Amino acid sequence: MSLWLLFKDELNGFYRSKVMLALWVGLPAMALLLYFLVDDIEGMPITVFTGLLVSSIGGLLTSVLIVVNILNEKERKVYDLFLIRPIRRENLLLAKFGAVFLCVMVASLIAITLAAVLDSANEGYNVQDILLSMKDSLLITLSIMAINCSAGVLIGVFAPNMLVGILLVLFGANQLSSLVLLPMITGWGEMWMAGLASLVISVALLFGAALVFRRKEI
Amino acid sequence: MVGNRGEMVSVRGIYKRYKDLPVLVNLSFDIPKGSIFGYIGPNGSGKTTTIKIMTGLIRDFQGDVSIEGRSIRNWNTELSSTIGYLPQQTALQEWRTVDQTLSTFGRLSGLQGSEVENRIKEVTEELGITEYRQRKVSKLSGGTLQKVGMAQAMLHRPKLLVLDEPVAGLDPESRVLFKNLFRKLSRDGTTIFFSSHILSDIEDIADTIGILGHGRMRYIGSMEELRERVGRSTEVRLETVEPIPSDSLLAMIQGVSKVERVADNRFHIILQEHKEMDAVVDRTIKVVLAAGLHIRGIHPNRPSLESLYLSYTDEEGKV
Repeated sequence: MSLWLLFKDELNGFYRSKVMLALWVGLPAMALLLYFLVDDIEGMPITVFTGLLVSSIGGLLTSVLIVVNILNEKERKVYDLFLIRPIRRENLLLAKFGAVFLCVMVASLIAITLAAVLDSANEGYNVQDILLSMKDSLLITLSIMAINCSAGVLIGVFAPNMLVGILLVLFGANQLSSLVLLPMITGWGEMWMAGLASLVISVALLFGAALVFRRKEI
Repeated sequence: MVGNRGEMVSVRGIYKRYKDLPVLVNLSFDIPKGSIFGYIGPNGSGKTTTIKIMTGLIRDFQGDVSIEGRSIRNWNTELSSTIGYLPQQTALQEWRTVDQTLSTFGRLSGLQGSEVENRIKEVTEELGITEYRQRKVSKLSGGTLQKVGMAQAMLHRPKLLVLDEPVAGLDPESRVLFKNLFRKLSRDGTTIFFSSHILSDIEDIADTIGILGHGRMRYIGSMEELRERVGRSTEVRLETVEPIPSDSLLAMIQGVSKVERVADNRFHIILQEHKEMDAVVDRTIKVVLAAGLHIRGIHPNRPSLESLYLSYTDEEGKV
């Protein structure tokens, strides 16, 4: 009950935030820019390239957004008024993760769908190829985003200040999230493995964040 | 389990350290149901730490706190529904409106359906913030934000209100509003525990006063008991219409030890013993009238909490 309420609340706050507005507009705009500005991406469909770009830039922005949000609320003691109420502490984090992840998921979907539409306008791509690359791009993008979001939550919970938090995002979360690209880059495994790896890493990071948050005096 | 039937809060042997620094040392006190408990102490004395322990925000401490006989070690839904909390600085998520804020906190505290809207209407009217209901939290002034904080604390009709410096930063009008609200809530059976640096605010409304110093409770009891204990009520202030030519007229009154002339017609009469107060006032009136003079005013100079508080400092070291 409290998780659903908190999730709806966080969603209500995040989807109208300035950073999220930039993602809503910025990510699809990126797909359009690629179409008009880049002549040749070595045969790679725009859908795939957009997926990589969106996950890289969007992922970084998302984790920074979460870290800044949590650290700011921690510093201002915003959580005190939640924690004295009958809710599970970890629900605050899960609600935040869920709200941000849902927002970036929709933003990514819009961008990649737009890229797929642009691909379909190009000669040489059939519908089946486009759908396949769209599926792969979405999977990779969401896998990276999930790790970025959950790492952002963990860093937000235990980082002592904003500077440390941002550094950890840049040199920790961002590198960690790129791990899921390995199967695609090396050809070592199947694409679904990226999704599975992302799921495992994200759950582990969120579990760690919940554990720290439960014990920590905020 | 600690706590008796008549007590809303029972604090027993609390020790709390931050690294090597002891913040609370063997702190014990009780708060009777329906009473207003004023908690005073200088900065860094441990007031906020006490409050955070009572509200379950600090869990790492020695000792125990029980609320209505239930230990806060076993924090649960029932316990958290019993408490309403206003922190020292009301911090709310800034993207919300006042209504959204109160609605979320109300629902999280267990209010359901139309009850949420009804209670929001009631408390915002009570606190005079109805016109701000649709305004974003980030656009509120400090005083209004404090009122929204108070609204969320009392929204779910908690039996115990724990308020950390609730009237700090309020204008005089809002301060009176808060004090009247505390009295009303207390009459309705709500127990109120509040800290303040504004000693006169505590003096006005608290049934019981706790003075905290260096993590220890220096005094706990009623205002009257405190006055008795400090025993400084030994001064009568006299103002006559005509000047009194000589101090000796007053100095010869039985029970008077010293007379201080403030002006030709204004005197501070110091008593030998505070128990002599009524008798000395009576004698003074007779002497002055017998001398053919007229009295404009005469009253015992009852010590304020501030002077008592400072007396405590003199008596027991830095409070």
